[in-house]
Amino acid sequence: MDQSAIEVRGLSVSYGSAPVLVDVRLTVPVGAGVCVTGENGIGKSTLLRCVASLQRPDAGEIEIFGGPPGSTPEFWRAVVTTVEPPTWYPGLTAREHGELVCRAHGSDLAEAGLDEMLERFGIASHADVIPPSLSSGQKQRLTLALALLRPSRLLILDEPEQRLDPQARTMVAGLLRDYLAGGGTALLASHDAAFAAAAGTTTVSMADLHAADAR
Amino acid sequence: MTTTVAVGSVRRWVRRTRSAHRERGETLGNFYFAVLFVAIVGGMLHRQLAAIFWPAAPNASVLAGGALSLVIVGGLYLALRRLGPLGLSRPAASWLLTAPVSRRRLLLPSLWLATIGAAFAGAFGGLAVLGHVAARPVPGPDALLPLAGALLGGALLLVALGAQADRWWSSWPDNVAYLLVAAGLAGLVVDSAVAAPRAPAGWPAGGVVPAVTAALAAIVTVFFLLAVRRLAHTPNERILEASKTAGTLLDSAFGVEPSFVTEMVERRYWARRRLTSRRLWARVPVLVAQDLVLLRRRPRRLLWLAGATTLPTLLAHAPGWILGAAVLVGGLVAGGAAAATVRTDAGNPVLLRLLGLSSRQSITQRLWVPGVLAALWYSAALSMLHALGDLPAGPWWALGLALGPAGAAATVRRARVGFVDNGLLPLDTPMGSFSTGPAISALAGIDVLLLGLPTVVLIAQGAPLTWTGVVAQGAIAAVGARAYVSGTTAADRVELSAR
Repeated sequence: MDQSAIEVRGLSVSYGSAPVLVDVRLTVPVGAGVCVTGENGIGKSTLLRCVASLQRPDAGEIEIFGGPPGSTPEFWRAVVTTVEPPTWYPGLTAREHGELVCRAHGSDLAEAGLDEMLERFGIASHADVIPPSLSSGQKQRLTLALALLRPSRLLILDEPEQRLDPQARTMVAGLLRDYLAGGGTALLASHDAAFAAAAGTTTVSMADLHAADAR
Repeated sequence: MTTTVAVGSVRRWVRRTRSAHRERGETLGNFYFAVLFVAIVGGMLHRQLAAIFWPAAPNASVLAGGALSLVIVGGLYLALRRLGPLGLSRPAASWLLTAPVSRRRLLLPSLWLATIGAAFAGAFGGLAVLGHVAARPVPGPDALLPLAGALLGGALLLVALGAQADRWWSSWPDNVAYLLVAAGLAGLVVDSAVAAPRAPAGWPAGGVVPAVTAALAAIVTVFFLLAVRRLAHTPNERILEASKTAGTLLDSAFGVEPSFVTEMVERRYWARRRLTSRRLWARVPVLVAQDLVLLRRRPRRLLWLAGATTLPTLLAHAPGWILGAAVLVGGLVAGGAAAATVRTDAGNPVLLRLLGLSSRQSITQRLWVPGVLAALWYSAALSMLHALGDLPAGPWWALGLALGPAGAAATVRRARVGFVDNGLLPLDTPMGSFSTGPAISALAGIDVLLLGLPTVVLIAQGAPLTWTGVVAQGAIAAVGARAYVSGTTAADRVELSAR
């Protein structure tokens, strides 16, 4: 397929007088996984936020599957992002959050594998707990489980390995590899090169994306 | 081996260091503004305050007096429990609670403050009961009622203090207080319904008040001394929780942001509950199923709502438009019992994006449960007024059901308002600057209740209700709710508010 999942051209963002992204270019083909690396403050999260349409750039063009990113239901049915942390529904358990996501996408619970997913992420024993009562690592696991549970075409994950123990990192990397193998596209930001490699993504340095053809 | 440091000297040092970088005279300025504020508000409202606490002539029955006392006792206890009652300021909780200082001396000022607050609240309660019930001139022994109220406030504080230390019996007085409030409200409703006669001139009987006051004074003194002795045993987490509550209340007051308190109350309620995951009901849209699961988890709230349908009867003798407006606002409260999910979505749309539903789909689904709750509440409240003869003949139950869509739209509008916009331009009035942001936020939802205007007119007219009136109200509510959905949502947008 020759259509790009993500096409970024001439993207520029600055916070006050400090430029963060200057003429950034990035192309991610459909079915590919790209992991953006770089030190703190170099603009990885800002790039992901712009691609997920959560931040308006000062200049530049972004296309997701050939169209502009937006806030339409079609866009959010194709794209899942963990760039922003969720505010959980009060009084709804972890498992019920999962069921809600599956039902909203018309998925059958058994088919979507809700219980298996909670089991794999090690939160099956906490399925009846409300998410605010989970530890930060468990919340991260639940967020990733929900992101991978629902159907999507593009995953935009900001440091998915954050707050996860080594076993969980390996498991998440495996799930991301399966996601790519199933035809999905992924854009990650990470500080962990080994995780990015295990997830089957191509690592791109953020510094190289500035005014250069990265791919 | 740790050494205990004198807490007084630490506090003095903190005060001295903080005052070093404060503007000179700032404390004096704050005091001046506080006095000015009390004087202006007192000047504006002294007639209304006098009517509440000390009407020109006694106007309540013995039943009403007793019921009011129960509501005040139950309400004061619950308020004390919500506030702590023993707390510290946030900086003191962070730095001094963990320091090697005497725990009792650290907490003693908080205990005094709480005692004085509770005593004042109790005294005002006693004054209000006395003012409404006792004949004029007030017989000598009865004048002790405010003092008895103050002592009762102190006694309630001591019980709340014991409960704060997380004893095995902590939940019992809470439940009793809820029952007292419910019984008191029921007493007031019955008093209004049967139009009970005014209290006889000799009530309360001469010797009762002094005897009760003396007994309370003895009990409070003994238990206060015991409480001071056991003060150091109050668990840290309870003090931290109380200091967070006080901090959130202050944040909410200074930032004019009531959502801080709503969010804190909601978070604490669920943090204490042990839940079992339930399957979402497959026969209804997914967000309706979610709202139903959450509603089922709060049966006590539903019970309160059911009881509250009797409250409009307290206003049965007020002008018709006040009664009508009170009924309309009651539906907003009933619908609000199922609006926490909309508040979450309005505050942060991340989960809405994960669900991938359009704002029109989600708001349409979210209207159902608040709509049914509001419709049932309206129907029950109007039927109650009708049954007690406060409304003329007619199908008032049907009018209540017809109001449902208006209640639903108003509830969802109120829940969607999000944070108060303090960036809006203030209005300059002769009485000072007036912030528009909090006012707009406070009115959100009330504005949509204008859809229930036909009901207010029908109640105010006092004529028998016809089916034409019901159909007209139903049509206006339904069309209004539909216009609200199409005007404030979009089929091609997920977030509840346009970016």
